[in-house]
Amino acid sequence: MHKIEIEAQIDLLSENKRLAEKNREFLRKKGIKAINIMGAIGSGKTLLIEKTIDSLPEIKFGVILGDVICRADFERVRKHDARVEPINTGKECHLDAHLISHVIEGFDGVDIILIENVGNLVCPVDFDLGEDYRVVMVSVTEGDDVVEKHPEIFRLADVIIINKISLADAVEADIDKMERDARRINGRALILKTDLRDGRGLNDWLNFVRRLKQK
Amino acid sequence: MSFASVIVENALRIAEENKAKKVKSLTVVVGELLLINPDQLEFCFNVASHGTILENSKLNIEVAKADISCVNCGKKYDEVVYLCDECGGFVSVKGGKEMILSKIEIEN
Repeated sequence: MHKIEIEAQIDLLSENKRLAEKNREFLRKKGIKAINIMGAIGSGKTLLIEKTIDSLPEIKFGVILGDVICRADFERVRKHDARVEPINTGKECHLDAHLISHVIEGFDGVDIILIENVGNLVCPVDFDLGEDYRVVMVSVTEGDDVVEKHPEIFRLADVIIINKISLADAVEADIDKMERDARRINGRALILKTDLRDGRGLNDWLNFVRRLKQK
Repeated sequence: MSFASVIVENALRIAEENKAKKVKSLTVVVGELLLINPDQLEFCFNVASHGTILENSKLNIEVAKADISCVNCGKKYDEVVYLCDECGGFVSVKGGKEMILSKIEIEN
């Protein structure tokens, strides 16, 4: 019996990176923009998608919904004017480029795909899906220290949405602290403060989406 | 668990290519910004490797630091910040997100 030491030097995350680039190339050729929306359970991701579709009828949306069991969100979003693909991830806590590659072929003729990632602020960070923009959504009800506790997801975001601002006083959350924390780790992200229930700040988000269509 | 599975998948492939009967140990380099808890990774690895020639092998986990430093004054940081506390310059973050299967020790 021989003992052998093998210098492997294999990049274990390269397979997802390769597939993500393939997705990106596929979408680019079709002229489709993709937005990866991440955030905790209950932060408002699904409502953001519903409001976006309803407010911008001039844009053709596709929606990919990732959840452990996706049926509830699928039933909600399918009532709106968009093509919707659910992905049940089962025990997996994030979407990955491979899961996305199975469904993007069905989005011909769509302008923008909104991808709702599985609800958490940890696992989705490391899995590029081939998206053009990363959006991270937090709500004040998660506590005003949520940004400083999860720096990595905020560092890599293009848009940071602080939602449910009308509840800030009730839950004693300091919105300015949340914004300061976000700015401290990410100076280039667009930071939006919204309340999707009463509509505050929604227009800032819609302007961002409108500009994407024109790009 | 998905990180553990990808380690097992790749290690098994290399072990088979080298006609291994048993794998003694593996070394994995994990970037600190992946925020992986080594104890958890080891536990998941033990579960994922069960029933394969990797079972009972030793998983060595080396944490690779990210290079977080101010592009203006060079001050180093242990955590991710955007602007330097000292001089207000931009702070660049390099590395810390890798996951490399660097070594495998096998018996054949």
